[in-house]
Amino acid sequence: MLGEGLIFNLLKISLGRYPSSLPVPGGHDHERRVIMKNQRSISVVAAIALAAGTAVAIAPASNAAAKVVTIAYQGPLTGEEAQVGIDELNGVKYAVQLFNAKNKGKYQVKIVEVDDQGSGTEAAKVAPGTASNKKIIGLVGPAYSGATINSLPFYKQTGLPMVSPSATRVSITDPTQGLIGFPVFHRVVATDLVQGPALYKLATKGVSSPKVFVIDDQSPYGVGLVDYMKRGGAVLAGQDSVSDKTTDWTATISKVTAAGANVVIFTGYYAQAASLYRQLRDSGYKGVLAGGDGVLSPGILTLASASILEGVRLTAGTVPLTEISASLEADFKKKVGVASGTYAAESIDAANIFLSCIGKGVSTRPNMLKCVKAYKGKSITGTTIAFDKNGDVAGGPMNSFEIKGGAIKFTGAVK
Amino acid sequence: MLANFQDQFLSLTFGGLSLGFIYVLIALGYTMVYGVLRMINFANSEVFMYGTFATVVIIRDLFGFTQQSEPATGFRLFYILLICLAGSMFLSGVLSIFLELVAYRRLRNRGSNKLAPLISAIGMSIVLAEFMRILTDSRYVGSPRVMEKSSIATIFGANLRLDNVIVIVCGLVLYLVLQQFVKKTRLGKAIRAVSMNEDSAKLMGVNLNFVVSGTFLVGGLMTGAAGFFYTLKYENTSFSIGFELGIAAFTAAILGGIGNIKGAFYGGISLGLVETYASFFLGTQWKAVTVFLILVVVLYFRPNGVFGEAITQTRA
Repeated sequence: MLGEGLIFNLLKISLGRYPSSLPVPGGHDHERRVIMKNQRSISVVAAIALAAGTAVAIAPASNAAAKVVTIAYQGPLTGEEAQVGIDELNGVKYAVQLFNAKNKGKYQVKIVEVDDQGSGTEAAKVAPGTASNKKIIGLVGPAYSGATINSLPFYKQTGLPMVSPSATRVSITDPTQGLIGFPVFHRVVATDLVQGPALYKLATKGVSSPKVFVIDDQSPYGVGLVDYMKRGGAVLAGQDSVSDKTTDWTATISKVTAAGANVVIFTGYYAQAASLYRQLRDSGYKGVLAGGDGVLSPGILTLASASILEGVRLTAGTVPLTEISASLEADFKKKVGVASGTYAAESIDAANIFLSCIGKGVSTRPNMLKCVKAYKGKSITGTTIAFDKNGDVAGGPMNSFEIKGGAIKFTGAVK
Repeated sequence: MLANFQDQFLSLTFGGLSLGFIYVLIALGYTMVYGVLRMINFANSEVFMYGTFATVVIIRDLFGFTQQSEPATGFRLFYILLICLAGSMFLSGVLSIFLELVAYRRLRNRGSNKLAPLISAIGMSIVLAEFMRILTDSRYVGSPRVMEKSSIATIFGANLRLDNVIVIVCGLVLYLVLQQFVKKTRLGKAIRAVSMNEDSAKLMGVNLNFVVSGTFLVGGLMTGAAGFFYTLKYENTSFSIGFELGIAAFTAAILGGIGNIKGAFYGGISLGLVETYASFFLGTQWKAVTVFLILVVVLYFRPNGVFGEAITQTRA
């Protein structure tokens, strides 16, 4: 038990070190600094672990023969969206812990944490460092589509295989849009092509004569979701497109009222959704409130009261671990130390693909890419995971959630 | 669309007006400083942002409200709102004086050019915003609800909501008080004197440093009040809202004529209304385009804004 804790600390130490001698494409010094900044908190943990004393030095003895393999996780670990990334990273950690315990003395997998804050611009700064770190042979992530698109040039150039648990934008694997993710990008989550129509279906469920008003946040994610909703045959009573900095919703609410809408769908992220839902309810709107996976974050519960959020309907391609099995969740909590969050199941699946390849002896990027492409296995929910030639997995169902009494509750697949 | 507009006209107007008054108060912060120093205080937007956080902290930590608590009512509500307003104004006022000391005073005394303080102000603005970003972990911070957003009257189908009424009435009162302050008080007169002619004012025995500090204080107080009203109306804030609202209020000040108190007032209100109407008519995506087109057209005919530049013109 003690040994395990020490190994875990060692693992953390290794995360703190970024090989600074490696060339960073473009040679910008600040890029390296950004990476280092983002890993500062980890270094602090490493320092504490080092200070813990000599015991650390003894620990590796049992693992001396183990082959050390490194994979990375990329997503928002700080910033507004940090919760999403931390939840996913915990999923990856859980999968890796299980694997390391099972293959003790044979393999030891380490995780490099790459923080892109969920933003495209930040991703473009940290991706070069990750791409040039040849020790990393597989990347779980990025969490977000915008960050994925901006990271792709670097990962394609260096042939780093990627499996994202949550980047749902259709264009990344769409051959008619240039297939920008090929050949390195894969994902284990259904795309917005599935989510758009499902969100519409969920929002109008049980509403007699629905009049649907859709608001997007002008982000590619938000606009895309509305687009796929319409392609799926959605009938809209009205539509508005607002900047992702909007705080005053007076005009939008007037439009909703003028359109006589009884269903309002927001395709954007949770912070704005909270302020929109709040102002809508305050204006006397009584109908359904709905949103996509961008709104599905515990963060929303801190930004509006339970009475305002009561009944908000949300969709996401993820399944909560607790719904898969209570014992799985209990084990997760025991091993990782915290309860599982959004996209935990998908993150475990994504990590497991790399881990199964590592278990087969894969140790280089080209072999990993071949192995991922040929992968065929079961997800932790029991569905089959195999990628098509574009990197998509034959999608599982889109799931629904509802906010009840100040908590987000899973309400089954959208049917 | 037109029939809809008639239905929604009053709702839009109330919403637009209360947003407009928030702009007015921030614009007054810009305008006071410009009137006296002929310099733009770019850090005023962060003074506003800190004002919004002051209210959140008072509501959340001093009075212990959470997202799930019952809103206050009656005298207790009045008392809480008053403390919040005073707290926001105080913090912003002090911050504003501090900004003047670090970003302006020494540069001014050493006779620097006009650009150095501009950059030092932008620098301070970034420092303040990033500091708050670190404090809040880049997250939005929600303010618990202290006041039930009840409708106090319905006029032609439009709800007259209590929070909007408070913003509009208090905004107007603060504006009128400021106007009288500049017109009647000793410091107000000194501010106008320095604004007219710095050297003559000094020769007449006006203490320049005192007047400049006073101006920053008054501007900060107004901006802080805006921070309180913003939190009351929107119930959330983040380290980045200063920039958004600051640009809008700065635009309002330019539109009305920067350096002119009346200009800030009419500029702020017109901007609030135009933004709201344009968003309704053309779609919210056209809001910024409409606002800035109007600004360019106005400046084409009135290069110094509708009411001209000088703070002294408030006499009219």
